[in-house]
Amino acid sequence: MNAALIERLGAVIAGIVVAVVAFYALYKDWKSTGVENQVFKLMLLLLGLGAILALLAGLNVIGFSPAKGA
Amino acid sequence: MTAAALPRDAHGHVDQLYIETRELRLQGFLLFLVSDCVLFSSFIFAYLYLRNSGQGWPPPGIQRLDVAFAAWNSVVLFGSGATMHYALENFKHGKFMRYMWFLLATIVLGAGFLGGQAYEYNHLIFGEHVTWWGSGIFGASFFTLTGMHGMHVFLGVCYLTVLVLQSAAGVYTRGKFFGITAGTLYWHFVDVIWVVLFSIFYLL
Repeated sequence: MNAALIERLGAVIAGIVVAVVAFYALYKDWKSTGVENQVFKLMLLLLGLGAILALLAGLNVIGFSPAKGA
Repeated sequence: MTAAALPRDAHGHVDQLYIETRELRLQGFLLFLVSDCVLFSSFIFAYLYLRNSGQGWPPPGIQRLDVAFAAWNSVVLFGSGATMHYALENFKHGKFMRYMWFLLATIVLGAGFLGGQAYEYNHLIFGEHVTWWGSGIFGASFFTLTGMHGMHVFLGVCYLTVLVLQSAAGVYTRGKFFGITAGTLYWHFVDVIWVVLFSIFYLL
């Protein structure tokens, strides 16, 4: 198992955990009011999307992947 | 607001000044974040403009960045955003020890991200294909933007360390914790900026 595979595996597993936690926190805070809570909700949404991006990059779905032998 | 959650001064009296100025502090802090957002945006748009005005990307002689490591390092930073959010939530609900653990976890993850960035810089500067700040548009853009972001993360880690010390000293109470709210907002902001930087440097 090479280093890149371990990093990708870590990114996928941790990406799922972080995305679930972020979206769950967003769901729980959905009805909260006030300026700071609105900002928190926006930030949590973007955080969750970021975790999904990292997860997809870990799965090699998006981002550059070197050709075999390169 | 319950009596326990009312902000009080050192003598136990209700802190009217804090109640009256909290919204102003929040607005001031949000304006600071907006101004920081403008700073990052100007560099990001400059990078995108330069990237699209050249012939192919990355420029000849520049190696593509390691997406696998960056994805892992990004998740470390995003995870710290989640722990910071739960630190604030636990403080609001009076669970002080949980708050402290989540705050410490945030600091550790933030420091871990900085360590990962230092590893990547070392790999780029001293690796097989030398890329550094003077390596044309790519090097200048990459090191300026990620360095500026890294400086924000470093300052955030320092701020959170101060929060730990202040919290241990009993500076914050259930009714008076704007410093923790500001720290959470700042840390989320740093996370969100990295979502953009990760996308434009590693995924596009």
